[in-house]
Amino acid sequence: MKDKKSILGKITASREASLMIVLIILCFVIQMRNSSFLTPSSIGEMLKNNAVIMVMTLGMLNVLLLGGIDISIASTLALSGMSVGMLIKRGIVTNTFLCFMIAILIGAVCGAIVGLTISKGRVLPIIATMGFMYIFRGAAYMVSSDEWAGADALGSFKDFALNSVLGINNIIWIVIVCYAIFFIVMKWTKVGRMVYAVGSNREATMISGIRADRVEFFVYLIMGILSGLAGAMAVTVYASAQPNMMYAKEMDVIAACVIGGVSTTGGRGSVGGALIGALIIAIIAKALPLVGIDAIAQNTVKGLIILVVIVLNVVTQRTMDKNVLKGREM
Amino acid sequence: MAGKSGRTISNTPDKSLKSRLLCWESMMILLFILVNVLCICISPTYNIRNVFREMPKYLIEMFLLFPMAYILVLGDIDISVGAIVCLSATMASIATNNGVPFLVAAVIAIVVGMLCGLVNGCILTMFTELPPMIVTLATQIIFFGIAEIALGSGGSISLTDTAGYKAISAKIGMVPVVFFVVIVFAVIFTVILSRTTFGRNVYAIGSNRVAAYYSGVPVQRIRLLIFTATGLMAGICALFLTSILYGANTTTGKGFEMDAIAMAVFGGISTSGGKGRLLGGIISGFTIVCLRIGLGQINMHPQLILIILGILLIAAVLVPNISMAFTKKKTA
Repeated sequence: MKDKKSILGKITASREASLMIVLIILCFVIQMRNSSFLTPSSIGEMLKNNAVIMVMTLGMLNVLLLGGIDISIASTLALSGMSVGMLIKRGIVTNTFLCFMIAILIGAVCGAIVGLTISKGRVLPIIATMGFMYIFRGAAYMVSSDEWAGADALGSFKDFALNSVLGINNIIWIVIVCYAIFFIVMKWTKVGRMVYAVGSNREATMISGIRADRVEFFVYLIMGILSGLAGAMAVTVYASAQPNMMYAKEMDVIAACVIGGVSTTGGRGSVGGALIGALIIAIIAKALPLVGIDAIAQNTVKGLIILVVIVLNVVTQRTMDKNVLKGREM
Repeated sequence: MAGKSGRTISNTPDKSLKSRLLCWESMMILLFILVNVLCICISPTYNIRNVFREMPKYLIEMFLLFPMAYILVLGDIDISVGAIVCLSATMASIATNNGVPFLVAAVIAIVVGMLCGLVNGCILTMFTELPPMIVTLATQIIFFGIAEIALGSGGSISLTDTAGYKAISAKIGMVPVVFFVVIVFAVIFTVILSRTTFGRNVYAIGSNRVAAYYSGVPVQRIRLLIFTATGLMAGICALFLTSILYGANTTTGKGFEMDAIAMAVFGGISTSGGKGRLLGGIISGFTIVCLRIGLGQINMHPQLILIILGILLIAAVLVPNISMAFTKKKTA
């Protein structure tokens, strides 16, 4: 039966391929309605505006692969972004590279604290990250001392998002590099496979000698590092640092993963899927005004799309399971 | 309790004085007293009259705590309650401004809430594979989105006729009406959860859903009922919130779900299901309300208050876990 599988069958069997088709149809329909959608500058602008979500999606992919969840990431982002913003505003650090390093360091510290609480303290991820969501967001306000850093205060740092190398914006380069690294790490290295192993069956991996709690710590650390990086990116892309920046955007990140076929119970999902999920989220946000849906209805449509995707997911999974059983009966 | 096989099943809690004093609820009462002492020490205006005056705006979140406790005991989670509050507050305000009498507006608020809860419940019971976290995340975005559309470009609405709302935000003596309503609901929800077959079924589902299903507990029907009841309570919460704010806006109810979950977890209700008592949740709810009033009176930065609440939330779970790990090491 296997060699008779048609091309169509192969495509529907792979989640990434079917998602890719959804993405292409989506692009095609929007292009039909509005021809300014698929131009290089429009796509570049869209990627730049969603770079923050796309980078954090990679970290969330890892967290979800372990069966965890992290809703503190937007707060981590605000803390690191706000710290960088204030450092520049006060003129303490002006070097762009150094700013990025500081943001990543702050993110790493946040991630390490979350990781320790979850892996060593055995606190449920949703509870721990809910607590840290309050704590880091509050810390961002404390750092800001009720001020914010505007475009004029950010000096040369905001130019980073305006400059480009080889015709591609710096911010998009960061996204490309992150995705390339994660694609290789998750697919072909020991660490990446360990994440999948722990997510699929924690007990079995522990018995086979993998330190599951270390993998868990590592995953939240990575999530923190990426959120820190995203914090610096958000400051340069939007040319402002406010303590309430990207409030509740962790939901967009989780939504991108879920649309990309990452299972929230762990063990299933891929970097490719996460990329497509993030792109679909980006395209929806970009396209709704283009096809004439009011900006005010965007959230509702976004929520509906998430709901439809996850329900479709279950329905296809059920029919797939049924077909497998049919094959056995024969 | 001796079973038919002659074995003694020791799942009835030990009722000795020592174990009663050392249980989580007694700790909570101690903490409640400590928090009040602390508040009296730091704030000169912290007295019973002021506490009752400032209580309603924090107390309304307790309406969400009661059903949230049930949901957590089931092993589920609902993060859309804040959005339901926003949507029903919006609908009630719009209805009132269009000349609908207060009672009808109240019914609209409650029905809208119930419908939202029903949507959550239907999706979760029809597609049981779906994690509640993700489904309610999606419905949260949708409910907030609908409220946003209904509120229009301004993003807020204020009541033109506040007569009926004034009645429910009134006081009896110095105690606000909402306090009595909360107490009544607290008693009802606590008794149902701890003293009825329905309550035991909820615990059974939370401890082992499959086993509960095979022993004849109508798992999905109970889940549907509880999610719908959650929506209903969110509607009632919205009604009282509207009576305080005299209107609604797009940020109404944001973060309420987190507060409700925090109260429950702080009160010893496990998010993994099957464990904890509502009494603990209620005491912790009042503790958090008092703490917020006290810290608010000394003009502490609201974000700093949230930091303290976050630390308390994590500590509430972390401390027992660590002490358990230590006792395990000792016995090993």
